[in-house]
Amino acid sequence: MLLRRLNNTPELIDMVAEDRSIAGALTRRRALALGAAAAWLPGVAQAQLAQAQLAQVQAKGAVLIMNSGAASLSVIDMATRRETRRIPVLREPHHWALTPDRKELLIGDSSGNELQVLDPATFAVLRRMPMSNPYHLQFSPNGKHFVVAGLARNQVDIYESAGYKLLKRFPIRSMPSHMDFLPDSSVVFMSLQGTGRIAAIDLRSLEIVWNEECGAAPAGVLVHNGRVLTGNMGGDDVTVMDAKTGKIVRRIRTGKGAHTLFRAPDGKTIWVNNRLDVQSVVVLDAATLDPVRRYRLPGGPDDLEFAPDGKVWFTMRFIHKVAVLDPGSGDFTTIDVGRSPHGIFLNASAAAAVA
Amino acid sequence: MIPAFDTAAGWIQETLLLPMLFALGLIQWEDISFGWALFAVYGAAQVLVTFALCVPLERWRPVEHWPDARAVVVDVLYTFISRVGLLPLMTYVLFFRLQVELNGALTDMGYVPPTLERIFPFLFGMPVLTFFLYAVILDFGEYWRHRLSHMFRWWYSLHALHHAQRQMTFWSDDRNHLIDDIIGFAWFTCIALLIGVPPMQFPLLVLLLRLIESLSHANARVSYGWLGERLLVSPRFHRAHHGVTAAGEVSVNYGAVLPWWDMLFRTGDFSREFVKTGDPTAEEALATGGYFTQQWAGAKRMLRDLFGGTPRGAG
Repeated sequence: MLLRRLNNTPELIDMVAEDRSIAGALTRRRALALGAAAAWLPGVAQAQLAQAQLAQVQAKGAVLIMNSGAASLSVIDMATRRETRRIPVLREPHHWALTPDRKELLIGDSSGNELQVLDPATFAVLRRMPMSNPYHLQFSPNGKHFVVAGLARNQVDIYESAGYKLLKRFPIRSMPSHMDFLPDSSVVFMSLQGTGRIAAIDLRSLEIVWNEECGAAPAGVLVHNGRVLTGNMGGDDVTVMDAKTGKIVRRIRTGKGAHTLFRAPDGKTIWVNNRLDVQSVVVLDAATLDPVRRYRLPGGPDDLEFAPDGKVWFTMRFIHKVAVLDPGSGDFTTIDVGRSPHGIFLNASAAAAVA
Repeated sequence: MIPAFDTAAGWIQETLLLPMLFALGLIQWEDISFGWALFAVYGAAQVLVTFALCVPLERWRPVEHWPDARAVVVDVLYTFISRVGLLPLMTYVLFFRLQVELNGALTDMGYVPPTLERIFPFLFGMPVLTFFLYAVILDFGEYWRHRLSHMFRWWYSLHALHHAQRQMTFWSDDRNHLIDDIIGFAWFTCIALLIGVPPMQFPLLVLLLRLIESLSHANARVSYGWLGERLLVSPRFHRAHHGVTAAGEVSVNYGAVLPWWDMLFRTGDFSREFVKTGDPTAEEALATGGYFTQQWAGAKRMLRDLFGGTPRGAG
């Protein structure tokens, strides 16, 4: 039903993505297709294959992956697409936030109850800061507020960015998950995964201005042209709500387990990851919000980053890899990282971080 | 090996658990389900590895031969319940929730939740050493829990189910009364919360420890030599604890993985050879009954000890 609906959308281009990484090339299916001998290529031939792949890669910089199930951060060299080192964290890193002056990268360790503060250029650990259950975290666009969603403790904390003074805690039912802000920083919108609602919190009065149903198990939140877009993980759609009233104005079917949403750097597209069913990534036209493209990306695509070379980097929660997708061809390569990779931070000018 | 296990857990999550949670309207618990998938995969691996190692050992150098080994079958059921099924799920969910609530509350009050890595920051980036220290502390806790379970008459009534087995094999490790398991979980949780044990940070090392525990119950004439027996609990050392003369409220060799605590607190006995196992005071139902018969017999015996009734024989 869903596939038919998607495929009937005239503009939708269904990209059948292909894993072109070495690991992907040696899957059982591929080995059977090429004959068992193909899986036993001499070491030299494999090295040449790897070299040829690496030669195509032009990107520089480093990518930091939050391995939520391995208590570590993986550093990937964008040039070689290899993990160069792992940084230990206390327990469970999920998401990150860059400070308004862009001098510090905060990694939220939710069950470790602390922030790990890194240098975003070198990924050197600067310090650790105790904080209650920091699952998702963001600074408001004007840099004045720092908002922390405590998913496991049903709390939303609003901090003053300068000095991280707690201004107010909202005990809220239930499972506050992801957030985004109005561009003028007046309101933060929080998805409540356990109760299927979105809460709008006024950051000037520190009051909840509305708390409305949006769909089952909402996860990612994106504010777009005065609307609040939410991926409903318990459904197959993205809900579009009026940012002022919380009234639902539209539902866009993307795929079962719609999860996170990201706007492309050029502002022309919005990318939605779907957890179930077709394990896909659906691209929406940012102007019309219609689905225009779909990539099949098995392995639980979660957070993503857009690289300057046009590639899109995804964390793949269930196969413990990062996928690098070429949006033009739909092909992707994968890189091994730690267990249950979630957050991803890409710094194309952070070449020093890989050392 | 770790990536293979993680990939298997990811496959279970992606193809079985997520669709099931989605259908039940419970998809918001996806992180918890992945934790269980990891527990289940590593638990199944524990069973397989233990099986692969212990079966040849038990065939090669058996201590005892039994014409009818039906009493062992129920121990297999205990093992699967304990390592793959419901118990790991409950353990993971409950422990995780408790840890989140306690540590979050401590952080709110301005305290830093205790963890070994915070006390000794050099442990960051040294996972094997960190795990070893956590394991030593938890094993020390296990020694005292086990010793106390022999000292209190009502508690031993539950623990007698473990000792009643006259056909002790590597499957017997998980043969415990459910209430005894719950007490054990509460005991472990208190200690683990105090030192901040991460629930699933070291799954492969946990597998190794459980392997040592299972091996210590094996029906195999195996010892680790003078020095080895003082470093790790061997089948010979632990068999002395299960011996017919050691069952009850005064026993020896309580250690689970490390015999150090028995040496330290003078409860170690390295002299006994491969003795016959079982508890002569235990009802026959505890020894040869089915799962539910054993559970009921253990509960009745505990209630009798707690609230009076016909006295049973000396423990």
